Amino acid sequence: MPLSTQSQGDDDQYVLVASLDNARNLSNILKAITFKDHAIFTATTNGLKVTVEDSKCLQANAFIQAEIFQEFTIREDLVAFQINLTVLLDCLNIFGGTTTPGVSTALRMCYRGYGYPLTLFLEEGGVVTVCKINTQEPEEPIDFEFCSTNVTNKVILQSESLKEAFSELDMTSEVLQITMSPSQPYFRLSTFGNAGNAHYDYSKDSDMMELFKCTETQTNRYKMSLLKPSTKALALSCKVSVRTDNRGFLSLQYLVRNDDGQICFVEYYCCPDEEVEEN
Amino acid sequence: MNCVLEGNSIKAFGKAIHALSRVGDELWLDPMVKGLALRSVNSAHSAYACFLFSPLFFQQYSLDSVREQDSGPIKCKLVMKSVLPLFRCSTSIERSVKQCQISVSTGSDRVVVQFFCRHGITKTYNVRFLESEALQAVFASHLCPNVLKAPARLLGNMVMHFHASQEEVTLSMSALRVSLRNYNEGRNDHMKMMHTEMSLHPDEFDYFQAGVDSDITFCLKELRGLLCFAESHCLPVSVHFGAPGKPVCFSVEDMVLEATVVLATLADFESRGPSQPTETPAPTTHSCADAAALPVGIHETQSNNLQVLPDVTELVESSQGSPITYPPVLMQLQCQGDNLAELCVPAEACACAGMTPPSSMICSLLFKALSSELGDDDDYDDGGAPRLPVLAYFSDEEDYPRSPSL
Repeated sequence: MPLSTQSQGDDDQYVLVASLDNARNLSNILKAITFKDHAIFTATTNGLKVTVEDSKCLQANAFIQAEIFQEFTIREDLVAFQINLTVLLDCLNIFGGTTTPGVSTALRMCYRGYGYPLTLFLEEGGVVTVCKINTQEPEEPIDFEFCSTNVTNKVILQSESLKEAFSELDMTSEVLQITMSPSQPYFRLSTFGNAGNAHYDYSKDSDMMELFKCTETQTNRYKMSLLKPSTKALALSCKVSVRTDNRGFLSLQYLVRNDDGQICFVEYYCCPDEEVEEN
Repeated sequence: MNCVLEGNSIKAFGKAIHALSRVGDELWLDPMVKGLALRSVNSAHSAYACFLFSPLFFQQYSLDSVREQDSGPIKCKLVMKSVLPLFRCSTSIERSVKQCQISVSTGSDRVVVQFFCRHGITKTYNVRFLESEALQAVFASHLCPNVLKAPARLLGNMVMHFHASQEEVTLSMSALRVSLRNYNEGRNDHMKMMHTEMSLHPDEFDYFQAGVDSDITFCLKELRGLLCFAESHCLPVSVHFGAPGKPVCFSVEDMVLEATVVLATLADFESRGPSQPTETPAPTTHSCADAAALPVGIHETQSNNLQVLPDVTELVESSQGSPITYPPVLMQLQCQGDNLAELCVPAEACACAGMTPPSSMICSLLFKALSSELGDDDDYDDGGAPRLPVLAYFSDEEDYPRSPSL
């Protein structure tokens, strides 16, 4: 039910108004990228993109298309601001976050523009809360220059099998090595921990493998500490695409279904740790 | 060495490793012609466990070369922490692992464990090891005078009554009874401890051989792993032991595997903590077992009268002998000078599981009060002053026995 705590006339002052009947459709997906306090919100007519970065080596983006929202009005081509993501999530869950069937928190998110706070109207069971969160100057998100034309290897896996692999990864290993090849071992995750090495191999004929397109043998290492937050997105997702480009940059794209069965995307970009010669 | 496991064997192998992890922090892998032995020992060298899997346990079992078989294959010592996680989740192993391959090749320093799983997934682990001498405890179980054999569930149920933090227990055996009670080192806080004792009739056991009456005290923690393994495989557990101080051996076996846990036992009640098995004989212990050696018939025909027990080394029977029991704590009291401690409990009370022998002080106060009420003259000495309290006794009869002087 749309919140009618203000007259429609007030809406003219907002450059961005987004409403959701179920705030969880936003909060759940934001949890998948909350590994840093601050996030960059970028809104276009297509929808909302939330970006979190770590040490210039890792970038996570959550995409919530305009169609997901019950109302999505934007008066400028691009609206961007930086905000404390932890605070935002706390506000979205202000009613406790317990899942009573049939009861959900409704959200109306309003932003007046540069210099103004982000205003959230949250309603549950007739109780309304208004939150105003300060915004900051948005930093330019890093452009990893990862484009489809440079992609050398791509696989799409069902998340279930990857979830198990990630839960069993040897955390004493500093790096996660990913090998993708048109020949054996096809797709391999490797760790080098205190006890020894571990390898997870996925055959290209595996029924968990929805797509296998590898053109050359590539082995790249990524810092385990950078990739660890991606397990949150993995846990929410049903499918994941793993792509590497000619520089060894990694792109992980997660297909997430929200409470209403609608599709949202989360993607992670990660720089390789070092050059590994393929032997 | 190269071996292949399939199906339920993988789960059993994992459970064996779990049981071994309860004993020590290191795992010895010993491939032999007669099978693959997994062994572990605790840091104090007071507990040793060995699981021997015969070649029939495996889908395939081969030792690398003839040369290896002659000179002895590699004996690997692995850190338990690096192996246990591989077999940690037995439900997921059951669900997804089709085949497990374990191999060690001469000249390498890695054990390779490969899991071939559903959905075309292969997990390969290269675990580093140290070459070392084989670990083996020599224990002639066939020379043990006392042997018990019971379904794992029976022992599991006995052990269940003891708290997980209970380190040591005492197993007592006589021709008529087997009992298990908790063992507490600190004498001084016997008032604060809960004493648990459970007794079983020989008929409960599949095999019962009481060569010598004996009470052995050993550490329970290291045994629990084997009991868990035995229960999951529905295998009976055999117990071989002798006099206190000599090790006790718990074993299970079936057609394709045998598992043994050898534990050191306390040499005597006085010592603190488990020690290496020593040659010193334990002081004569008095327990239900000893008393029960008395003809039971006597107990039935006469009233339960208390029995005067002088000091530790001598058991003086009253004319109307009756079974006695007292926790080790009372033995300590008795050792002090001429104290006479009396405790008389009928055999039936002993036999019920979980009965707690009352501590001396509490019971004496209780029964002292009772006997005073009844105006029993014998409670007072000639001078009219009350004799020192009687330790707990139980009687169906109206006439209370004469109380002793402590």
